[in-house]
Amino acid sequence: MRLTRRDFAAGIAAGIAAPYLIKSAHAQGATIKIGMCAPVTGPAAESGGYAIKGAKLALEAVNKAGGILGKQAELIVEDDQTTNPGIVLAFSKLAAQSDIVGFLGSIRSTQVHAISPDVIKLGKPVMIGGTDPNLTHMGNQWLFRCRPNDSYSGRVIAEYGVSTLGKKKWAVLHSTDAFGTAGGKALTEALTKLGAPPVLDQGYANQSQDFTPVVLAIKQSGADILGSYFTFENDLGIFARQLRQLGVNIPWVGSPSIVNITALKLAGPALYNTYGVADYAEDSSEGSKAFGKIYRDAVKVAPDNQSSWTFDAINVLSAAINKAGSTDAAKIREAILSIKKFAGAEGEYNFDQNGDGLHGYNIVKNDKGNIVFDKHIEFND
Amino acid sequence: MDLALQLLFTGIGIGAVYALVALGFVLIFRATNVVNFAQGEFSMVAAYLMVVAVEAGLPYWAAFIVALLGMALLGVVFNLGVYYPLRHRTYLPVIIATIGASILLANSVLAIYGPQPQVLQGWFDTPGIQLGPVYLDSQYLLIIGVTICLVIFNFWFFEKTLLGKKLQATSQDKEIASLLGISVSTMIMITFIYSAVLGGLAGILVAPVLFVSIQMGSTIALKAFAATIIGGFGDVAGAIIGGLSLGVIETFGAAYISVPYKDGFAFLVLVAFLIFRPQGIFGERVAEKA
Repeated sequence: MRLTRRDFAAGIAAGIAAPYLIKSAHAQGATIKIGMCAPVTGPAAESGGYAIKGAKLALEAVNKAGGILGKQAELIVEDDQTTNPGIVLAFSKLAAQSDIVGFLGSIRSTQVHAISPDVIKLGKPVMIGGTDPNLTHMGNQWLFRCRPNDSYSGRVIAEYGVSTLGKKKWAVLHSTDAFGTAGGKALTEALTKLGAPPVLDQGYANQSQDFTPVVLAIKQSGADILGSYFTFENDLGIFARQLRQLGVNIPWVGSPSIVNITALKLAGPALYNTYGVADYAEDSSEGSKAFGKIYRDAVKVAPDNQSSWTFDAINVLSAAINKAGSTDAAKIREAILSIKKFAGAEGEYNFDQNGDGLHGYNIVKNDKGNIVFDKHIEFND
Repeated sequence: MDLALQLLFTGIGIGAVYALVALGFVLIFRATNVVNFAQGEFSMVAAYLMVVAVEAGLPYWAAFIVALLGMALLGVVFNLGVYYPLRHRTYLPVIIATIGASILLANSVLAIYGPQPQVLQGWFDTPGIQLGPVYLDSQYLLIIGVTICLVIFNFWFFEKTLLGKKLQATSQDKEIASLLGISVSTMIMITFIYSAVLGGLAGILVAPVLFVSIQMGSTIALKAFAATIIGGFGDVAGAIIGGLSLGVIETFGAAYISVPYKDGFAFLVLVAFLIFRPQGIFGERVAEKA
């Protein structure tokens, strides 16, 4: 057989194209991959474990119900080490895998800020749990929040403390990272609007070993109520104990960390009779109850927001990809933003154009270690 | 005044923890001329051992002894596994080895026990006592008491006993000590055991206050290291004074200047010492000898 120049060119072309065609065919037949950055190690490793369990439970349900676009979905987890450099590395590892169609970022705002530039460069949807309001208001169209942001939590804490508990002399305590600073600012603004500007606005550095100066500052301020934004549960535990030991027994309304499992275990009776805003409260809706049952059956511990937001994130992302009918990032984005009245564990999702899915918070009370749902406050603005 | 007294008590309490860990730094530095960056992890490992022993049903005092015996064993393993193979090398490979060991210890505990922070009850049922305007946390009282006892013990041990003098001789000049018939490797082994037990003691004492977590050791060790430099690297009294000073400075700094910059005060003092008095409060014994 004589090899013509045309045959030779066709052969070369086929040779070059073959690996890509095989790879493409393989990709089309493979699972749908979702990447997740989670703290497997570091100070938040315990809550990171809960987050992964929540995501996996959702994925199991999605796969049982037929999967995503008719294929089984797969979760690829990278350890973010509970640090900013850690999550940047974890996200870059996941982003390098071109067949991952969507991601779960962090519940910690400071970590979401750290990966935000890389998210913009990648241009794929990233579901987040960080509650700094700025995250969805700084021009990054690929971040989608599965928890209510702190502009809502601040307003709910202020509203509950001023209107329901009737307290007007506030001490505001917050960590000095992105989450705590934004939360403290939101609470201060909400209190000022209600005519009760805080008598003390106190920041603290994460991983403090001693809160005596903070407790004494609260005592000296004459505050009759405390509002707080703690990032890490061990800080919250140390503070709660010292607060009670030094004789400060004013009402305390805290951000969601005040009612999570780790904090309850560490602080014990020091957190009795405190109030918390909770994006997840088991008795707040049918979706919350359903998740609570699934989670308790599978994990054998009480559910909290660490697992509920990842559970919802997987469900929202899966529903959006199915709705888009494609793994094209732009189409998935449009599908997420069009999601309305979606019942999740955290509440009813109605995504706005900024990427915020939830717009209200629950108020819960620590009744001798049991978290009791009080009321839900929803905002429409 | 009430505020200052409360701050002073807390500052001394937290400073005593830094002092205990700093003491471990100093003893190993004097014996081997290297800084053991795993000293903080000794505290963390001991706290976990204590939790495991208590959960296993041992009485608190028995769990305490088991944890300290475990630390003594860790001191032996650490000496044989980390220091001994590198003893003839320069200080740099040994320091890097201690950093590696620190990472290994932290991740081993993480792998065995999981990431969950644990609660360890204190020695006393009562959390503290109110003395006039000052609340005295019972655990901090215990920590301060133990630190005072250790200061006295260290003085007696190093100045009055033959073994203590042998340890001092080894730390001052290994070759001469060896010529005098002192077993240098045994003395270094004893130093590692004592340092591991001291670090462990600090961890067990502070665990009811700070909880038991993988990070607890590194957080304390960083401050203890600063305390060691402030007190004068290589000086036992310096480590105690440095630790207590650091605790008091950062507590008062947080109360009267800024809470978020609490850690900053400690390191500001460290930087000031490094610039104006690098030998620390009590100077450096090696320099004095020269």
